[in-house]
Amino acid sequence: MRRLLALWEKECLALSRDVLGLAVLFLMPAAFIVVMSLALSDAFKGSPARETEFAVIAADPALADRLAKNLAGEGFRGVPGPASEGEARNSVRLAKYKLVLVVPHDFEQALVAPLDGGNALPELTLLADPALPPAQLLAFRQRVLGAALALRLSAMMRRAGIAVDADALDPRRAATLKVETVGGTGRPSSVQQNVPAWLIFGMFFVVMPISSLFIVERRDGTLARLVSMRVPFSLLLLGKVGPYFAVNLAQAALMLLAGRVLVPWFGGETLALPGRWDLLAAVTACTSFAAIGWGLLVAVCSRTLEQATVIGGVGNLLAAAVGGIMVPRFVMPEAMQRLAEASPMAWALDGFHTVILRQGGAADIALPCIKLVALALVLLAAALWVHHRRRVLSPA
Amino acid sequence: MGTLNVESLSFRYPGASDAALQDVTLAIPDGGIFGLLGPNGAGKTTLISILAGQMQGATGLVTANEEPLEALRRRRPGFLGIVPQEHAFYSMLSCAENLRFFGGVQGLAGARLKERVEAAAAFARIESVLARRAGRLSGGLKRRLNLAIGLLGEPQILLLDEPTVGVDPQSRAFLLESIRSLAGRGRTIVYTSHYMEEVEAICDRVAIIDRGRVLVSGTLSEVIRDGSGLEETFMQLTHRSLRD
Repeated sequence: MRRLLALWEKECLALSRDVLGLAVLFLMPAAFIVVMSLALSDAFKGSPARETEFAVIAADPALADRLAKNLAGEGFRGVPGPASEGEARNSVRLAKYKLVLVVPHDFEQALVAPLDGGNALPELTLLADPALPPAQLLAFRQRVLGAALALRLSAMMRRAGIAVDADALDPRRAATLKVETVGGTGRPSSVQQNVPAWLIFGMFFVVMPISSLFIVERRDGTLARLVSMRVPFSLLLLGKVGPYFAVNLAQAALMLLAGRVLVPWFGGETLALPGRWDLLAAVTACTSFAAIGWGLLVAVCSRTLEQATVIGGVGNLLAAAVGGIMVPRFVMPEAMQRLAEASPMAWALDGFHTVILRQGGAADIALPCIKLVALALVLLAAALWVHHRRRVLSPA
Repeated sequence: MGTLNVESLSFRYPGASDAALQDVTLAIPDGGIFGLLGPNGAGKTTLISILAGQMQGATGLVTANEEPLEALRRRRPGFLGIVPQEHAFYSMLSCAENLRFFGGVQGLAGARLKERVEAAAAFARIESVLARRAGRLSGGLKRRLNLAIGLLGEPQILLLDEPTVGVDPQSRAFLLESIRSLAGRGRTIVYTSHYMEEVEAICDRVAIIDRGRVLVSGTLSEVIRDGSGLEETFMQLTHRSLRD
């Protein structure tokens, strides 16, 4: 134990003097949390914070106004339209308008025509900016069809002698619809996605200081000296586990704090904290073991600092890209979502989301935790095996 | 007591066509300074690394005080120490932190650790720079810190691998004097160097090895055949062709 404490103290002292390494471990994930939480805040909301402007042009200004009124709301806002369809096309091409609904001059007459094979359906044209997100275009299209249906029903009822205002037939007035997510707070908000995601990313970056100090130790002969002092290699590795586990815990505490304080301070949402801190600690610990195991394997396998930087850095970026750290998994296509299941960062994110988002219990986090610990053990065993082979073959 | 016997020690690096060490047999008596000489690539560092337990896979037998060295070191880890050719310490730590750390990993703690750190620092005369970062020391001070670390465990056998490389004459003279005084306290010192005058000045016995084989071994007078000096004998035995 005395020797282990000496190793831990040395590692802490060395790390405390590596300003760049500390910046990578603490400032980088904090910066990502703030920037990405703010940048993606709209993307995680059900409706965009900034309304999409649209215009309606019709020969009858009263009809245009009525349609614009029915189409407005839930992220869409009507604005005065261009004078003609030609001008509207030009304006959309120049991105002055996102959406322009062109109503033909005989639209109202066509609405009252019987719906049989002899009559063509009245044709509306929606001019759309190609940069508009497909989901928004689809939502507006549904609103247009709903408004058209309301107009048709109103016209048909008038013909049948029933006086009814088209506004009364607005589908939104049919009933109120309450959407209730079951099992927690539902889909992650931007801050709830980004805090655990970039925390995991930062935790896995312990690969950098672990491997760089290890390679310097090997290069300068200190590792050989320690071996000659009969310090077992497994103890040397354990000597790195303790301090970096503490670093990972400190990262977790500070990143949660960033979600609670820093992100709201910059105008973003506040991170909702979990009810079960013990489960959060368990997920953090398991993630830390996997990250440290990865760092130790990279350290033992890399012969130079450059190799460690490339293997560790690129490995982390790939695992983050695949594992839903950079892009949330729910926006990925199915094949990518299946691939994401292979990333340890995705396992860790599952664990964090289960605790923070779904308020899950111990049984719910068991699988991701078991996977992370199993990975840590495999990586540690691989590091010991690689070292053993090299030590038999050449100077330690 | 620190008698060291090496019997038929052989070692080959994987993939290498030639053995790095071939049937090396040496008798290093208790006390005194044993000089291990050889041109670059002769196998000196390989031999030192095997003796220090840094490399595995060698065949042959190494005994100390008539007991297998490995078994003895399991029992008494501090029995053998090494001062490697490299500055094998942490440049980002201070000298005191380095000494405390290397003492700590050898199982020293508390008052005993403090006492050993002070004694090693005093011996190497680095007390005045204990608070300074090791990476910012001069070449001579780095060598002295390297030596101090090697002495923390009070080894009976001390392996010194080219301990005076890259130091000024003053530091070199100090280091040689220190090594001589260590031997005077009953330690066995195995000393490798390329500086023949150093070896002639401080060693009682020498062995010259080349291409993994022992060419000659004995007291200085036994090795220097015709009184021409150690360097001339060395050149005759190892030939004058350049080595990589």
